[in-house]
Amino acid sequence: MIKVNGLTKIFYDNKRGKVAAINNLNFHCQKGKIFGLLGPNGAGKTTTLRILATMMQPTCGTAEVNGIDVVNNPDEARKQIGFLSGETGLYDRFTPRETLKFFGKINGMENKIIDKKMSEIFQVLDMENFKDVRVGKLSTGMKQKLSIGRCILHDPTVLILDEPTVGLDIITARTVTEYVKKCKEQGKCVIYSTHIMSEAEKLCDDIGIIHRGKLLAIGTIKELQKHSSLKDLEEIFFDLIERSGAINE
Amino acid sequence: MNSKNIKAIFSKEIVGAIRDKRTLITMIVVPLIFYPLLFIGMGYFSQFGSKQSEEFISNVVISGEKIPLQIIDYFESEEMINLIYSEENINEKLKTGEIQAIINIYPQFKEKIEQGETSQILLEYDATETKSRVAEKRIMKILEIYKREIISLRLNKFNLQEEYILPVTIEAKNVASSEKVTGTFLGFLLPYLIILLVFSGAMHTAIDITAGEKERGTIATLLVSQVSRLEIVLGKCMAVITISLTSMILGLFGVSVSLLSGNAIAHNQGFEALKVGVSINSILLLFLILLPLVVLISSILIIIGIFARTMREASSYVTPIYMLTIFLGIISISQGIELSGKLFFIPILNSSFVFKEILIGKINWNHILFTTLANSLFAGIALIGASRLFNRESVLFRN
Repeated sequence: MIKVNGLTKIFYDNKRGKVAAINNLNFHCQKGKIFGLLGPNGAGKTTTLRILATMMQPTCGTAEVNGIDVVNNPDEARKQIGFLSGETGLYDRFTPRETLKFFGKINGMENKIIDKKMSEIFQVLDMENFKDVRVGKLSTGMKQKLSIGRCILHDPTVLILDEPTVGLDIITARTVTEYVKKCKEQGKCVIYSTHIMSEAEKLCDDIGIIHRGKLLAIGTIKELQKHSSLKDLEEIFFDLIERSGAINE
Repeated sequence: MNSKNIKAIFSKEIVGAIRDKRTLITMIVVPLIFYPLLFIGMGYFSQFGSKQSEEFISNVVISGEKIPLQIIDYFESEEMINLIYSEENINEKLKTGEIQAIINIYPQFKEKIEQGETSQILLEYDATETKSRVAEKRIMKILEIYKREIISLRLNKFNLQEEYILPVTIEAKNVASSEKVTGTFLGFLLPYLIILLVFSGAMHTAIDITAGEKERGTIATLLVSQVSRLEIVLGKCMAVITISLTSMILGLFGVSVSLLSGNAIAHNQGFEALKVGVSINSILLLFLILLPLVVLISSILIIIGIFARTMREASSYVTPIYMLTIFLGIISISQGIELSGKLFFIPILNSSFVFKEILIGKINWNHILFTTLANSLFAGIALIGASRLFNRESVLFRN
């Protein structure tokens, strides 16, 4: 599971001075659940997920993955994590098979286990046809399937997915969301960031609405509806954003 | 630190580099095809040019009053000279290359010769034109014969032999073995070449696997895997070192083949007896000294690559360092400069000087030790610097 307490990240900007990308975030996600982080561009979603994936260090606050502190023990934490985002690119000069083999090796997996996991991934994600084609020649959808394969290869218990359907066609996007559901059924804990309301509504058990680095609301969709007296997630989202803007101004 | 992870990163980078056309061009095509073609081409065209000039009949204008017939006979009998007696705008024609030289016989030339005085001839030619230089040589040769004949005649008047005014003949004999000649030649050329080849070989790969990874977004994928930052840096650095050394070896091979081939430019410069006199021990010693230098160059390039946002930005940062390398290389091949004291702490300069010493057979263990220690120290610092930089999110996620 994931536990986030008082997570804050402050950057220094030459023009603006100190800028809080995220400010005192608190949330948690249990195993077998999907936690959706919903917010517009620049809300702080990517920074939050980068910290959880040990790529960045918070200015203050803590984050734990299955009880492992991501700041104090990043190597151990990474064993538990599968991270996928728009910035996790793939090597164009390698085939999907070579890509997975490489990531299997650097994730400390034995060759036999890598081969077994690879076969499973190729089958489940329907990658058999292009497993030996160089990534540079693959379509966006095929690449995203490979990215998912790379992300789940070492069988992580926690998945951190940063806008995994961005730029995908409707069919590939559905393959991705279906696979995320399957991961949930397998008992994995999933953090899913998106700005697509319908996706969040369908997939997520809990939703945190983030804006300007702050969590404006957190809860199940029913709880959010009850709290705001609005039915539609999009309306709830804009209502919260407007209110927060009014408060900030 | 896990050696399997370093090996996996290293293998990934090497395979990636081999599959990159640009690396293949820098590593294989340039040293094995371009260098030999360049050297052989330069040699061929230089030979071709000089042959053409040698075969060309020089148009020479002779002007003056009462020109001794003897001089005219000499020039007329020379097949490679076409003597012209009267011509208009001769100075202009010399400039445009229509004629190759003008022989001006000074007034009272004949009288002065007969009276045993010194006469004057002015030879005008264009030193920037090969054909004009060839004409000058031909004319000087003929005038030298004429001069000796006059001397001989004058001496005969006093019953003296030519030896009377030639009390000593001097013969200079070069005792340098062909190995030493080769060593000196290689000592002059190789250190500079080795360093340039190492740098140019490392440059593209180092930038591609750092700034290139950032640009393509693959660096984040590496950072979320279970491999440590130090392992990433070591794996990448080893790959750059391998590519750089391979590129250098292929480059040296390419250049050696060109130099040893008959048409190479060195042939024209009198290195017909070019024998490779460098022993295996010297080569091993060269590699020992080269290794910390390659690690240093690779680490510096990796630091630049990690710092830069894009490959283009990295290339612009690398350019001044490349210029500095060329500058240090030029200093090292300058004649008469000896390395001492603090200069041994200047990485490229020290190696270049020590390479030169080894190649000419002057092995100085103190110099080798200082150079290796200094370069190893700097290489270690650069490697740690690269690893630290890989931990700095402000650098890795610089927008």
